[in-house]
Amino acid sequence: MKQGEYSHQDKCGIAGVGWTKFSKNSGRSVLSLATEASLNAIRDAGLQPDDIDGIVRCDFDVVAHNDLANSLNLSNLTYWGYSGAGGAAPAGMVAQAIGAILSGQAKTVLAFRSLNGRSGFRLGKGRTQASSGAIGGNGSYEEFFVPFGMVSPGQVWAMLAQRHMHQFGTKPEDLGHIAVTSRERANSNPNAQMHGRTMTLDDYLASPMISSPLRLADYCLETDGACALVVTSAERAADTAKPPVLIRAVAQGAVTGIQPGMVGPVLSRPDPMTLPSVNIAKTLYARAGLGPQDIDVAQLYDCFTITVLVQFEDYGFCARGEGGPFAASGAIKMGGSLPINTSGGNLSEGYIHGMSHIVEGVLQLRGESTSQVEGAETCLVTSGLPVATGAMILRRGS
Amino acid sequence: MSYAERPPPVTTDYDTAGFWAAASEKKLAVRTCSDCGQSLHMPKAYCHSCGGWETEWKVVPPTATLYTWTTTERELRAGFKPPYTIVCVEVDEAPGVRMVGYLPGRPHLKVGMAMHARFEPTADGTLLPQWYPTP
Ligand SMILES: [Zn+2]
Repeated sequence: MKQGEYSHQDKCGIAGVGWTKFSKNSGRSVLSLATEASLNAIRDAGLQPDDIDGIVRCDFDVVAHNDLANSLNLSNLTYWGYSGAGGAAPAGMVAQAIGAILSGQAKTVLAFRSLNGRSGFRLGKGRTQASSGAIGGNGSYEEFFVPFGMVSPGQVWAMLAQRHMHQFGTKPEDLGHIAVTSRERANSNPNAQMHGRTMTLDDYLASPMISSPLRLADYCLETDGACALVVTSAERAADTAKPPVLIRAVAQGAVTGIQPGMVGPVLSRPDPMTLPSVNIAKTLYARAGLGPQDIDVAQLYDCFTITVLVQFEDYGFCARGEGGPFAASGAIKMGGSLPINTSGGNLSEGYIHGMSHIVEGVLQLRGESTSQVEGAETCLVTSGLPVATGAMILRRGS
Repeated sequence: MSYAERPPPVTTDYDTAGFWAAASEKKLAVRTCSDCGQSLHMPKAYCHSCGGWETEWKVVPPTATLYTWTTTERELRAGFKPPYTIVCVEVDEAPGVRMVGYLPGRPHLKVGMAMHARFEPTADGTLLPQWYPTP
């Protein structure tokens, strides 16, 4: 960092994390789930609801700031905001919380994501699933996709995977190692939806094709549940109940020719294979004063296995095009150079749209993970692609 | 019949209507900056390259190269019975402009192969450019 340039490095921390049971059918409202996760996070921090004066949320969330403020009976709300799109929100939520705290607009900010992602609105069926009649317009550009049968993010990622295989020789087994590794971590995590279900590489290869080359086991779960975080200043975080976890740095980013709308228009970028993570990595490492060699463990957004594979390249853990061999090398397992998605991730723990990745990052740095990486001091946490998104590096406080 | 359930496109959007107007005449049109020639796809009114607001719907030959594809084996939306294939093509005379198309079944495809568009009606009669391998 240049002399005199402002920095948020280590100035805020995550003082509390909370979550609900992850299931296929919660039988509860998303407001109830958000409230339970939030109360758990506030309690985890050793705070009271009235200590919360800011709320940030995901643009896809049905629960608004005032809904949650009312449910928690907050009397001191002075700040709210939202980030997105969708799974890209979590890093942006943390970035906003930091901005609010360091600019004096709030002292202690609650960030949450709550969804009935299986029993309610299923994101995998596409955002226009409930629409009848003509589709598109109003800047959505869905008229260029849905009438052609391209309705789901999985189909876009399948096309990116196909292209990665064509350009770099990536193999189905490379994706399989990511799925199997996530499953192994879920098998250790009692709250993971796939806790009791083991999977071998052969099981992966026998998994039914959904949108070639992606199989069912390449897809994240659809989940009912919620996660919440309490972000506050480093000084306050040091005073709370649990060992402090500092936000070393956070960054958001896009690419030139980002394209409007959601995932379909990504295919019309100048180079669809160069994702925002390429640029975010540069910003994030510069802000953190760290590099890929300094990362002890990573929680990489995993709506699909291929999403993880490209991030190995983009965050500098291997060269461009080498994501497949890196996945197959054993580096991503426990004991490897970069254990990933230690709760089981979106693929095998539950799909809370990237928020559970931050929760797990915090647990790792407190030494509380169900797949604890010994001596972990730094954790990379990323949010959803291929849209403009963000990432952060967490570190253990002292 | 499942085909009748296919959602037609909105064809009246300020930024994209010209594409569908051209398609109704079985022409493939790319919104293009009148000043500098920049392709503006997804279609939009402002040229990020030169700052101009003058655009035109440039008619280009309906030929392209296959960039990538996927064969979908599950029913994701009524009207699209699996298996079916989504192709993503790059238009030959508008480099970088990519579009998707629907093909029934599991056609044999290869990245880089030549493709061409046929204009086929969807449920409400709107013509969609659909991309097929060129023999
Ligand atoms: Zn121009």
